Amino acid sequence: MKLQQPLSISLFALCFLLTLASNTALADTPFEALLADEQNGADWLSYSGGYKSERFSPLSQINTVNVDQLKVMWAYQMRPTGISGAALQETTPLVADDIMYLTESPSSVTALDARTGRTLWHFVPDITNDVLNIGFPRINRGVALLDDKVYVATLDARLFALDARTGAVRWESKVADNLSGFSLTLAPLALDGKIVVGVSGAEAGVRGYIDAYDSESGERLWRTYTVPAPGEPGSETWQGDAWRTGGGSTWLTGSYDPELDLLYWTTGNPAPDWNGDLRPGDNLFTCAVLALDPDTGEMKWFFQYTPHDTHDWDANQIPVLVDGEFEGRQRKLLALANRNAFYYLLDRETGEYLLGKEYSFQTWAEGIDENGRPIVIPNSDPTREGNLVWPSLQGATNWFSPSYNPQTEQFFVPNRRMGAIYFKSDVEYEAGMPFLGGGEQPMDGDDASGAIVALDVMSGEQQWEFELQTPPWSGVMATAGGLVFGASNEGYFFALDGEDGDPLWFFNTGAHVRTNPMGFSVDGNQRVAIIGGQTLYVFGLE
Amino acid sequence: MSAKNYLLRLSALILWAVAISCAPAAFAQDLQNGQQLFQTLCARCHGMLGGGGEGPSLTRPTLVHAPDDEALVALIVGGIPGTGMPGSRQLRGQDGPDVAAYVRSLGELPPEEMPGDPLAGAEIYRSVGNCASCHIIFGEGNGVGPELSNVGQRRNAAYLRRSVMSPDAEQPRQVDRFRGSLNAFLTVRIVSEYGSYEGMRVNEDAFTVQMRDLSGKLYSFEKADLISYEKAPGHSLMPGYNSVLNAQQTDDVVSYLMSLK
Amino acid sequence: MNRFIALLAPLCLGLGLTLPVLAQEDEFQTVITPAFSPVTWERLINAEDEPENWMMYSGTLDSQRYSRLDQIDKSNVAELEMKWSYQIPVIDRAETVPTVVDGIMFITEAPSNLTAVDARTGRVYWRYDHELPDDLRICCGRNNRGVAILGETLFMSTLDAHLVAIDARTGNVLWDTEVADYEAGYSKTAAPLIVKDKVVTGIAGGEFGIRGFIDAYDPATGELEWRTYAIPGPGEPGNDSWSGDSWKTGGAATWITGSYDPDLNLIYWGTGNPGPDWNGDVRLGDNLYSDSALALDGDTGEIAWHFQFTPHDVHDYDSIQVPILADIEYQGSTRKVMMWANRNAFFYTIDRATGEFLEGDAYASQTWAQGLDPTGRPIRVPGMAPTYEGILVSPPIVGATNWYSPGYSQQTGLFYVTSFDGEQEFFKRDEDYEEGERFTGGGGRYNQPMDAFHSSIRAINPATAQIEWEFPIMPRSSAGITTTAGGIVFTGSADGYFFALDAATGEELWHISLGARVHAAPMTYAVDGKQFVTIASGNVVYTFGLKDD
Repeated sequence: MKLQQPLSISLFALCFLLTLASNTALADTPFEALLADEQNGADWLSYSGGYKSERFSPLSQINTVNVDQLKVMWAYQMRPTGISGAALQETTPLVADDIMYLTESPSSVTALDARTGRTLWHFVPDITNDVLNIGFPRINRGVALLDDKVYVATLDARLFALDARTGAVRWESKVADNLSGFSLTLAPLALDGKIVVGVSGAEAGVRGYIDAYDSESGERLWRTYTVPAPGEPGSETWQGDAWRTGGGSTWLTGSYDPELDLLYWTTGNPAPDWNGDLRPGDNLFTCAVLALDPDTGEMKWFFQYTPHDTHDWDANQIPVLVDGEFEGRQRKLLALANRNAFYYLLDRETGEYLLGKEYSFQTWAEGIDENGRPIVIPNSDPTREGNLVWPSLQGATNWFSPSYNPQTEQFFVPNRRMGAIYFKSDVEYEAGMPFLGGGEQPMDGDDASGAIVALDVMSGEQQWEFELQTPPWSGVMATAGGLVFGASNEGYFFALDGEDGDPLWFFNTGAHVRTNPMGFSVDGNQRVAIIGGQTLYVFGLE
Repeated sequence: MSAKNYLLRLSALILWAVAISCAPAAFAQDLQNGQQLFQTLCARCHGMLGGGGEGPSLTRPTLVHAPDDEALVALIVGGIPGTGMPGSRQLRGQDGPDVAAYVRSLGELPPEEMPGDPLAGAEIYRSVGNCASCHIIFGEGNGVGPELSNVGQRRNAAYLRRSVMSPDAEQPRQVDRFRGSLNAFLTVRIVSEYGSYEGMRVNEDAFTVQMRDLSGKLYSFEKADLISYEKAPGHSLMPGYNSVLNAQQTDDVVSYLMSLK
Repeated sequence: MNRFIALLAPLCLGLGLTLPVLAQEDEFQTVITPAFSPVTWERLINAEDEPENWMMYSGTLDSQRYSRLDQIDKSNVAELEMKWSYQIPVIDRAETVPTVVDGIMFITEAPSNLTAVDARTGRVYWRYDHELPDDLRICCGRNNRGVAILGETLFMSTLDAHLVAIDARTGNVLWDTEVADYEAGYSKTAAPLIVKDKVVTGIAGGEFGIRGFIDAYDPATGELEWRTYAIPGPGEPGNDSWSGDSWKTGGAATWITGSYDPDLNLIYWGTGNPGPDWNGDVRLGDNLYSDSALALDGDTGEIAWHFQFTPHDVHDYDSIQVPILADIEYQGSTRKVMMWANRNAFFYTIDRATGEFLEGDAYASQTWAQGLDPTGRPIRVPGMAPTYEGILVSPPIVGATNWYSPGYSQQTGLFYVTSFDGEQEFFKRDEDYEEGERFTGGGGRYNQPMDAFHSSIRAINPATAQIEWEFPIMPRSSAGITTTAGGIVFTGSADGYFFALDAATGEELWHISLGARVHAAPMTYAVDGKQFVTIASGNVVYTFGLKDD
């Protein structure tokens, strides 16, 4: 009998060596590394791949010439936890020092060897089936890394710091009360010594806020409410007690400008969503972007995209920080393709409105006036009988990330082209119950479509579009190889030519995709990752 | 985008909503409570009219995960592991059964008088209509068109009559959990370098399209390889029977289809 | 009438539709690729001659799982890349072996669903969702392992013990027959086997005190043609191998697909453990035909011969393995044999015309038998039956192997099996039979972690029953094996690897990490001249091929 070198032994040896290698290098993601994340192609250290939130990979080994040679290097399948409704995955994996950290719904964390996909550790928080998630599915969008810890925000509104080597809990802090409808689904944002999180829950009539926690102790450093109390600036845009249940949740990761030392965070819809009669006024600071002092949480400026929103057009999209020449002047800009179907450019030092341009079919506004305020078409509000309006409540885009290629100054947006019949109804606030005041019936299927569109970042002019069968629920990532990676409900992960939108390569993941692509490298070889359905795929050339 | 399509769907949905609001008084209270709770807790994903959205459409007579009412209540409250359905644990007492009753009502048709003789209709279905050459009923026939077993549970007389007389008017949809309600029998014409094909689309995405021809053969194409690809919404491959059947025969066939439950 | 309908008129005419005939246009002839042609019995007998198709669970009627495809071979298998995947929407453990006919792949899914996809791209053509009652008795997972096809009809087992016939082109149900009462503990998970003009199928439920049987159904109507019980009734030969009424609840389920020899007109089928599993006191005797291979007449189902591997089993050593049939050189002449690596840790080579035992030896660790006597009957080690206190025995309950398919290569003449060298403490318990409840009389417990044991792929020479090589696996595997004319053994492991070995030497040629346990057997097929290899892992069906030119 002849014995062969077993697969398992060679893999064991490999894992052992990796462990050794990792132990020497492992698990330090200092603030300085986060500042350099944009330039670092090997790692992907924060949700959007850097504080500017460009979701741009500076790697070019995979490019327009060879992308058709991409192949799956390994796959990983999510582990069901037995919690009902936890089968949708919306996470962006992070990679630091050849270790990948990803979350699995509802709020688990898994560390994988980024070379081989083999599991290193797995953390499952003690969440029960009773957890409330009002207005969104039981999902999680990813972790934050800082120093030797991994941070995850949980569906039941806690923030955990885990040991990056083992997944052991270092500390946990209660961010909010899940029983009154608060949840956390976003990837936290790590700054210098602090972890910033926002909350979900506008559909339960919460009063939104943004929190910062000490990264070492878990102690809360500050809290900034997105709905002002009586007497505070902006409170004049609310009447009576409406502010107490005014919504303005903060459920998507923000951006940061280290030079201006400003934190940019977006806010969601006012509550109740579709019955605006119960909350007359502009409802500040809902559907807005806020510029905050990261040390105190103090608001430096704000810009409201959709005053007195009645369509659930959250402004919870990724604020992308862009530096460039706008109308002949070098400026620091903030670009955001809004759920309300308009693309906006702001001056991110002052909040000054510079540009608002329709990028997707819509029937609710004639345009944006010179102050950045939409010129609303009469009778576009929800009615008791139902009122057909574009876009649908899921918006012309949504939380899934756009991407900005700073080399070509192109802004890429996944675009949803779908209308909905909007209904208004009566509602009374009850803690822990949905506080909606209406709803929609989307005009989906063959009546809807989707696209990836490329915009000139400074003008918002569309350069090209790549049409999709149905409105997408997944993000895009541009690369220095001239590519735009995207995905579809039909289960494809694909690469487009950034120049003209031509499809250059595609792969059938076998299930709907509702995540963002990300990129990294191992041993100098570029990798691109996407999750379709329950399966994470990592692609490379070699 | 077809405005006509929207209007058709809109009017269908609203007609249905009216039908619900006119439900018999004895059930009105339960259904109203169920509807209110449904709109609060379920409509966010399943649509205000139950027609689907992020969650599947519930306007159908049978629900895969809920074979009986007890199972339906259990999953409304407890959710479904392994899916996106979280459940609504806020529901207390009679609320769960009320929501379940409302959900069931979404897929139920109000009782209707049959316009003709179902037995005579069965004979026409078999002979003059030759319907079994394209449709299957409880295992009998050739199933390239929609299966008609239980069609009487799903469709009212007006819909069935329209389908028999002028199939172009409205084609059945199939609901995909992540893509919405798609035309299930969309007529497509495809020309590739190997030939020309026509049939019914069974699946489509940005890169490929799959179709079935009238003989039941299945095809899969990459769009990039095609010379032409044409969709023909509003054109059914089923022949209209308005010139084949007289009024009595039509009533009889409609009655036969209504009897399939 | 518009042009569009006009173009379709010829087609409709072909179907006998009463449609006015309009001008035909040559432009729209349809004569081309993927032609789904009916799967005749002739095609099934000669399945190995069309290796581009995988038309039944084990590939061919002899269940060798050997494909003549050789485009992927030892020289290029390292370049395999994933072509597409398909994720089963109901999250569970996939045990399916897809079937491919003329470019269309049929995938069974947990719990009892079926999907047809384009075998080149994985895009879905249709789905069939079988409605199940919510009070199912599930012994061992909500699985389905595959379909059978005859003509244009697919046949699928369901967890509620039905056999369903489905139109392969549309997914419509043609008939749905109740094979047994699920409330009494019966269920069905295995792919049926087509034998001539019948659908042959077994039954699961050995842990519920059922009485196992093998059935044959009319493929057109779903009517039962014959039923052969795996436990003889009163007055039948073998009934005296059961004490008292114990035969009534004696188990002997038949839950994996068998094989067929068209020349001998014999069906070969394995049978499961006697019930209750671990308490033999209540069913004294050999307990025929539990833990046996049965040879049945292909027309009547009559038992031609039987071979019992484990008489009076008390360790749940099911003979639920796929029988592999081959003609091999044995002691100077060509013999028609059946090869069997049993859950009880012994490998057997048996004359399949007569049931005569030819060779046998242990292929994995075991402590329950001193060896096999000249007739193939095990010589038991005394005192190894389960006790109330527990006793350590090898192999453990899961066996030295299990239901996962072994393979055989016509190139090497070797038999390949996924094997496990382990041990477990076996317990006995007193238990009364109650319909629809578990009836096992005991159980088992590992007293060491799984990685204390040894797992491997073993290559066995059927002429000598000796091991030629082995390839170790960590920590274990429940994957099946497929071999090809490219000189390759494809299989997987519980830690989520799919890999290729050199069939002659066991050398590893390629592997990929799929991220979840492989709990199914690979299969291979070709479309448009390109070979593909497919494996289910976790919840996903992955398909691999070589780089496109």
